[in-house]
Amino acid sequence: MRAAIAAAMTRSKREIPHYYLGSEIEVERALQWLEDFNASRPLAERVLFAALALRAVALALREVPDLNGQFVDGRFRRSEAIHVGVVTSLRGGGVVVPAVHDADRLTLPELMASLRDVVARARSGRLRSSDLADSTITLTNLGDLGVETVYGVIYPPQVALVGLGRVVSRAAVRDGAIVATRVVHATLSGDHRVTDGLSGARFLAALRARFDDPEAP
Amino acid sequence: MSTTPQTIRQAVIDSVQAIAPEADFASLDPRRPFREELDLDSFDFLNVLIELHARLGVEIPEADYGKLGTLETMLGYLAARLESA
Repeated sequence: MRAAIAAAMTRSKREIPHYYLGSEIEVERALQWLEDFNASRPLAERVLFAALALRAVALALREVPDLNGQFVDGRFRRSEAIHVGVVTSLRGGGVVVPAVHDADRLTLPELMASLRDVVARARSGRLRSSDLADSTITLTNLGDLGVETVYGVIYPPQVALVGLGRVVSRAAVRDGAIVATRVVHATLSGDHRVTDGLSGARFLAALRARFDDPEAP
Repeated sequence: MSTTPQTIRQAVIDSVQAIAPEADFASLDPRRPFREELDLDSFDFLNVLIELHARLGVEIPEADYGKLGTLETMLGYLAARLESA
């Protein structure tokens, strides 16, 4: 496994001229909404922040389609479908990146079920080749490991990677008063052969809007 | 039904090991954050709670997650919940 990761990452760093952008995004409203959503649900139906964040990423991508696709034979092929590869660490070391297919078309509970399914199969070694082949972008969420900021390496032939760190409490100024709020560091690694900072900035702005309005379809 | 501290502790160990088979409770400091010590991410933790529910019948609301930070506080929390059940 380590050799496979090394091969993909070496190719990425050799072929892809990366650029990196980061933003601190307030997620207080999204977290409160999720806490309300989960309060009335039994354990098996609860939705994790990781699923809500995945949905926000998928919906934000619709607005910046040049980040979604694969770079094949010297040119970028944009993908209509949004298949998000979710970096999943394995017990005993290593990572796999199974895809959550059509992540922008699933409801939040459906997305949670799909994410649980691929994470469980990844950790028990039961992924299918179709799980690993066709991601159009990667999401790496290292919040559970305590990381604040991710500087991700793009998985070829994809052209972008979204990184999320852990949720942290911050003091913020709102209407002239200091209030407690929760934020997450979001980063975008982009491929300069396809996009530039403008697309990345538009994506991060769209992501912020999604977290501000977690109920939006 | 009377549930002894030993039963609760065993249920916690069994629930965690169902998700993280390599989790070593012998070397776990019960006063350290146990999710961190045992490498349980948010998916693992949710699955541990589902296992615990199956074993003890205790459904833990999300608002109480803050009381489950260490093995010691988790055992205390579960004992109190079973006591009042």
